[in-house]
Amino acid sequence: MLRIEYLTKTFGKKTAVNDLSLHIAPGEIYGFIGHNGAGKTTTLKSVVGILQFDAGEVKIGGVSLRQDPIACKKMLAYIPDNPDIYEFMTGRRYLNFIADVFGVDEKTRRDRIREYADRFELAGDLEQPVSAYSHGMKQKLAIIAAWMHEPRLIVMDEPFVGLDPKASHLLKGMMREVCDGGGAIFFSTHVLEVAEKLCDKVAIIKQGSLVRSGSMDEVRGDDSLEEVFLELEAEE
Amino acid sequence: MLKTLIKKQFAEIFRTYFYDQRKNRARSKGSVIAWFVFFILIMGGVMGGLFASLAASICGGLLAANTAWLYFAVLGLLAVLLGVFASVFNTYSGLYLAKDNDLLLSLPIPVRTIMASRIVSVYLLGLMYAAVVFVPTMIVYWLHAPLTFFTVFGPLVMFAVISVIVMILSCGLGWVVAKISLKLKNKSFVTVFVTLLFIAVYYFFYFKATDLVRDLIANAAEYGEKIRGSAYIVYLFGRIGEGDIPAMLIFTAASAIVFLLVCWLLTRGFIDVATASVPAVKTRSRQKNEKRYSVPSSLLRREFARFTSSPNYMLNCALGIIMLAAAGILLLVKGTDILEQIENMMPEYPALVPVLLCALICMLASMNDMATPSVSLEGRSLWILQSLPVTARQVLFAKLKMQLILTAIPVLFASVCAQIVLRLPVPEAIVFLAVPLLYTLFSALYDLMLGLVMPNLTWTNETVLIKQSGNIALALFSGWGYELLVAVAFFILGKSVGFVPFMTIVSVPLLAAVVLLYRWICRKGTKIYQEL
Repeated sequence: MLRIEYLTKTFGKKTAVNDLSLHIAPGEIYGFIGHNGAGKTTTLKSVVGILQFDAGEVKIGGVSLRQDPIACKKMLAYIPDNPDIYEFMTGRRYLNFIADVFGVDEKTRRDRIREYADRFELAGDLEQPVSAYSHGMKQKLAIIAAWMHEPRLIVMDEPFVGLDPKASHLLKGMMREVCDGGGAIFFSTHVLEVAEKLCDKVAIIKQGSLVRSGSMDEVRGDDSLEEVFLELEAEE
Repeated sequence: MLKTLIKKQFAEIFRTYFYDQRKNRARSKGSVIAWFVFFILIMGGVMGGLFASLAASICGGLLAANTAWLYFAVLGLLAVLLGVFASVFNTYSGLYLAKDNDLLLSLPIPVRTIMASRIVSVYLLGLMYAAVVFVPTMIVYWLHAPLTFFTVFGPLVMFAVISVIVMILSCGLGWVVAKISLKLKNKSFVTVFVTLLFIAVYYFFYFKATDLVRDLIANAAEYGEKIRGSAYIVYLFGRIGEGDIPAMLIFTAASAIVFLLVCWLLTRGFIDVATASVPAVKTRSRQKNEKRYSVPSSLLRREFARFTSSPNYMLNCALGIIMLAAAGILLLVKGTDILEQIENMMPEYPALVPVLLCALICMLASMNDMATPSVSLEGRSLWILQSLPVTARQVLFAKLKMQLILTAIPVLFASVCAQIVLRLPVPEAIVFLAVPLLYTLFSALYDLMLGLVMPNLTWTNETVLIKQSGNIALALFSGWGYELLVAVAFFILGKSVGFVPFMTIVSVPLLAAVVLLYRWICRKGTKIYQEL
């Protein structure tokens, strides 16, 4: 579903991501772990086409992001770490805008908005301007927007930050549903317990380079994910 | 504590003078001094000069008619009016929308201390605007009247009373604005409407000022008697300036009591208003809203939603709409007389009137520059469009379309109104309608290019971006620069060349610029946007 090959991204003289390769198959929830400034967000932004990368290749569903970014973007959805959503729109208008861009028909979007807004208890707030939303509400709106067009790949940057326990639980269930339906999830997190319980595979990034990746059992061995992560961080 | 808070307030008010937000660093000493000198020149020199000339024009006449109190009443009320109008919205945002309200309320600071620090800044702002009117008033009076204890002391007391009245009214009105804005649905349009109304009233009085002053001086005694009889409080107010002790005592005591009352009311309701945001009322879902639009339509709707959500955006970048509509109506009502006069001024230029009208419409069209800040206004939300399956070209064309729609319609309206008055033959009429439309296209492309070349995505204050950006100033003045070139060309060629050939000559470079700009937007512009 997502193939990252030798991805390199620099900002001036600083190399944020260095020769990173990953493969995420359909049905997989892939966790992406690293300390602050390790290059997680840069990788995710490069994968979804926000940042232009310097070298390497990103393929989504077999389509090259460089050659056909629009076709790739049609297959994916992205949720950033800080959901800065248009404050001049109401929640409903924003969801309709996203649905328009993805060409979701009227009946389907109505059903999905109702379904997900009810699930996240946001139905009563959809007529409010986004400027009146709390961080958590914006996060929920960004999640609903991401699920509007049933993407095959969902890329999320710290998706659980700001969500209440019920919404977090709900999101985990939805992530699993996507993968059960043949989609894939690629997300970054600092919460290692969540990664350990939720992910099929995990990758650890340090100073822009991948230091370990594979199935959860392969990465952690007999230790906990936290122990492995701290051990790798301690290594020079 | 109060001192600390006042210091913070002052640092906030004068931040722009000490700190360059675009370069993200403190200004040099020379730059700070230059900014303050500029500010003093504008306030004292330009505005103060205007009111000094007004005071000078009525002072002698009213003193001769033995109605010095009327002089003080008129200019005192003007000072109150300017002070209140200039500071009421600042009061609202300073008292109730201050970004540190939550922070300060969470600290162990009494609410009345927070209020006091805010009120001091309101007072100083009102004082500054009132001074612009009243300081020249006092100086002009002292130059005309004999200097005694009462003639010197009276105006000074009156100035102090005015400053307190301005503060009371500003605080009161600020509170009303805060209360209303909590319940208002279409805040943006109401703000734009009120501001435009204020501008219209201001210009109405500005153009009528000479007649009003002449009338006031000619009938000073009669007006004085009328006011004394029906509005005694205004008479008493004016008497303070003359040094009348009972008037001073009554007004000082009354303003002190009302001021304390306002402070008490403000402190009581401060927390409720300052911490309330948009009412978080749960509403029923409106499922009929789910209507499908194509990607270009959806992007265009998004641009319009952004535009109509911000009164600042509308007022600063779309004044051309109002001006073009007003120009069209003015031409229909008084066009024949005005155009006849212009024609008679320079009969050696046969095409003067249609060229002048064409240039005027283009100039007013250049007051619309909403495409310029539209790129920077994406700000932190830029990730949305960058991660969606839309091309940079689609996004940029939506911005372009918005400006074209909002400008071409009023341009066409003004042109048709002008054509009704001018009654040009068909070929000339076609050129007369086409050239402003071509200019509208050029202007939209040029404004968008400026937005792309000089983007600022890290802004914290939308107003600064819309009002003070270099690209906005360039967008406005470049348009006027083109008009200037047309005027120069006309004075060189206008005697020997008719309307159609002349407009064809000036349109050729415009058309070339349109083609070049269009190609630039499609190639380089889209690339710049993708890499933002």
